[in-house]
Amino acid sequence: MIHVRLEPEAKDIELHRIKTVLGLLNRLELRPTMALVVRDGCLLTPDRRLYNNDHVLVRTVTSAG
Amino acid sequence: MKCKRCKAQAVVALPSHNTAFCEECFYLFFTRQVETAIRRQKMFGPDDRILVALSGGKDSLTLMLELALQGYDVTGLHIDLGIGESSIQARAKVEAFCRKHSLNLRVLETASVGLAMPDVKKYIKRPVCSVCGKVKRYYFNKVAREEGFDVLATGHNLDDEAARLFANTLRWDAAYLSDQGPSLPAAEGFVRKVKPLYRLTEFETANYAFLKGIEIHSAPCPYSQGASFTNHKQLLGELEHRSPGSKFAFYDGFLRNGRPAFQLLEEEQGDELAPCRECGSPTSTELCGVCRVRMALSEKKREAGELA
Repeated sequence: MIHVRLEPEAKDIELHRIKTVLGLLNRLELRPTMALVVRDGCLLTPDRRLYNNDHVLVRTVTSAG
Repeated sequence: MKCKRCKAQAVVALPSHNTAFCEECFYLFFTRQVETAIRRQKMFGPDDRILVALSGGKDSLTLMLELALQGYDVTGLHIDLGIGESSIQARAKVEAFCRKHSLNLRVLETASVGLAMPDVKKYIKRPVCSVCGKVKRYYFNKVAREEGFDVLATGHNLDDEAARLFANTLRWDAAYLSDQGPSLPAAEGFVRKVKPLYRLTEFETANYAFLKGIEIHSAPCPYSQGASFTNHKQLLGELEHRSPGSKFAFYDGFLRNGRPAFQLLEEEQGDELAPCRECGSPTSTELCGVCRVRMALSEKKREAGELA
């Protein structure tokens, strides 16, 4: 299970059976250049592996006005 | 994924450039893109005084920091729109950022000039985003001129510019298409305006802001829900995903091949500008748009008993 913090919505969700950053973005219906993905304060590229109990921040980049 | 320059672990992947970078090499890439924009579009030189429009978002704060790091003489201008908690938070982020980096800042409150946005939303029967944009552009230009700045810089990025071009093209708006670009020369009543981030995407500025530890105001404006601009960005984002590089090609191609034609058309058919009778700003009508809004607002508030 991956713990995901969504920003700027400030919403927390949990996702199962996610193995990579790209998989996470696909599950959230986001393209790789539409969001930053951060683990332990470090940016992750789409190919990076995610592990059980990871806490990940997903921050969408499109400014909404 | 490895950094294309130094082979360290990459932290940013950029499909449109078919590359990836570690933190240090990404800064180098980012700085070079800004340097190229400034040089190719002849935006400003090392002796120019630059006023940077600061909203508190990632793009404007990123621009301010990057120009300061490149050694330019920059001063920030934040316009406090008076939209409740949203404006309070945005202003606090801008003030904290400028304090942290020892950067000059001016703040202008629109309420102090009779244009608080909640009043505009309540009394003016026009889209509030349109009026808000007009008011901000007016005061950015006014402050820059009155305080002797050589150039006004805004944090518009490639996504902003491509989305605006897309919207203008959907309407075939010749007037807007004639003067859309990353560098607009000074003209009677107008200071020079530049967009040094126009070669960089929103994703790239977001990565820069994160890596530099810039605390940004990211909550959307409570008045901007359903703005078509965001939909256009999403459409172009999908196109970019399927065909990396297409966003820049669309915008750059317009600058090279489309804009000159619209500029010629506008020279033939465009409206003549004259000073506004109230404030002296250039306008194609007797009263400029901002003075018209200010007067209408004052009148409606008086009718409603909110003004003596």
